[in-house]
Amino acid sequence: MIVAERKLFEQIWESVKDLKSLLVLGCGTCVSVCQSGGEKEVGLLASELRMKSRLAGKEIKIGEATIERQCDREFFDSIKDKVNEYDAILSMACGAGVQFSAEVLEPVRVIPALNTRFIGVTVEEGIWAERCRACGNCVLRDYGGICPITICAKSLVNGPCGGSKNGKCEASQEKDCAWVLIYNRLKKQNRLDDLRRDAPIKDYTTQTHPGRYVNEAYRKPELEAQHAE
Amino acid sequence: MRQAKKLLEEIGIEPERVEMFNIGASDAVLFAKAADQMTECANRLGPSPLKKARGVSK
Amino acid sequence: MPNSKLKQAFDKGKFVVTAEAGPLKGTFTEEIEEVARVLKGKVDALNVTDQQSSVMRLGSLVTCHLLIDRGVEPIFQVTCRDRNRIALQSDLLSAWVLGVENCVALTGDLPSSGDHPHAKPVYDLDSVQLLQVIRGLNEGHDMSGNELKGKPDFFAGAVVNPGADTEAAYELQILKMEKKIAAGARFFQTQAIFDPNVFAKFMKRVEHLKVPVLAGVIPLKSAGMARFMNKNVAGINVPEAMIGRMTKAEDKTRTGIELCAELIKSIKDLCQGVHVMAIGWEKKVPDILAAAGL
Repeated sequence: MIVAERKLFEQIWESVKDLKSLLVLGCGTCVSVCQSGGEKEVGLLASELRMKSRLAGKEIKIGEATIERQCDREFFDSIKDKVNEYDAILSMACGAGVQFSAEVLEPVRVIPALNTRFIGVTVEEGIWAERCRACGNCVLRDYGGICPITICAKSLVNGPCGGSKNGKCEASQEKDCAWVLIYNRLKKQNRLDDLRRDAPIKDYTTQTHPGRYVNEAYRKPELEAQHAE
Repeated sequence: MRQAKKLLEEIGIEPERVEMFNIGASDAVLFAKAADQMTECANRLGPSPLKKARGVSK
Repeated sequence: MPNSKLKQAFDKGKFVVTAEAGPLKGTFTEEIEEVARVLKGKVDALNVTDQQSSVMRLGSLVTCHLLIDRGVEPIFQVTCRDRNRIALQSDLLSAWVLGVENCVALTGDLPSSGDHPHAKPVYDLDSVQLLQVIRGLNEGHDMSGNELKGKPDFFAGAVVNPGADTEAAYELQILKMEKKIAAGARFFQTQAIFDPNVFAKFMKRVEHLKVPVLAGVIPLKSAGMARFMNKNVAGINVPEAMIGRMTKAEDKTRTGIELCAELIKSIKDLCQGVHVMAIGWEKKVPDILAAAGL
């Protein structure tokens, strides 16, 4: 899932304090699971904002809504009418959701309430960790299913640097050395010889931004023809 | 509970205003103690700033 | 014409001595010139660190050039932290034009450990790949296979950490060392060692690789320095007996030099040379070497 964390309340307040009305809009998918922007978090943030605005002597009308996904056009139908009652939307989605809300709901102003962090997994209740950097060229086959691009702080692909200490990373004693993990996993799989292979040089063309992907079944022949010319 | 206190603090309300006690049904002494603690706290802090704010705005 | 004295020293089977000098922050070059004056003729070559510990300072390349002007053969340290493949290749070509013939490829510490912790870490290439690139330049082509008009002939080296603490990290160091050799590393300088037994075990383990190894040594300045490194620096493990002698020493400078010299003597027969990382004591390197009988 995409893992995000809420901005500091101070920052959110700064960006909304001069509005007359505001719709706090949650997202029911990734950020719900990582407990930063789902229905529950919308309720909490809206309550905080109501109390804060009262303390600050301001009258801000604060509404709440959560849609299934802010990265999919169809889910906006349910709130399209409601949106017109507000000066702005405070989106609790990831960066993609915030941008797409602004695009779909144009010209309504959309303000972000979260900082998007990474693509990750639930390590244990309340703790999430990064597992993919979306490099566009998956190498997991070669490293026992542990990504050196993501887990190694230096994204090294041919072995560790000299900074591995007690199986931890030189960047932080709280982080595992990816290479120690890879070695131990491949050893269990009896595949240590896989490590002898020289890793290919990284290809950053797969990380040209903004990324775009078209499913084969949806490719438009006339566009393809244009492209070929 | 920690999160609730943090939320209050963020918006500028004293976090001591919310507290949770685990007290058995038969533990009258502990209950009384907790009630005293909260009463003392409420007296010390005075009326909720939210109430004051509402008064001003009305 | 290439005439790396470092390479010649290895070829002749001489016990090679290298040391290390770090440029300072700013444009003040008198200090490094003084180091060059003191070490001229005393070492076979002098490594010039590349933004050591991720602390921004005068560049390795221009400092190498200063050393050449003052008659000291430099080893250009190149890390993968700050430059992408375009800049790395270009700097290597520039170095050759300025007369630099030796280089050492390193990964480089993370920016977070230095004085610009918010900088973007690059690591476009890793140290193995950088060695492959250097070999390619030597062969007359860049990473994309384009022909160079005029090519370098670098004598390239690499580093290895013989004190890695877990089985995985240790075996991976050796595996990576093998990859570096295959990629063109012609000599190795090690992370600082303090325990001759650890080093002997390592040299036994890499016997099959038949590549010159320069044992890294650091003269201790105090017991506190030893404890700090034991705690914070991966691969460094100063034995308690050594720390004890530093604690008791009346003249810490003399004892630090003595300990370092004793260590060099005890490992001299195990390796092809020694790399003295004096960390501020560059001008004392001749004393250390004299005490070690070199």
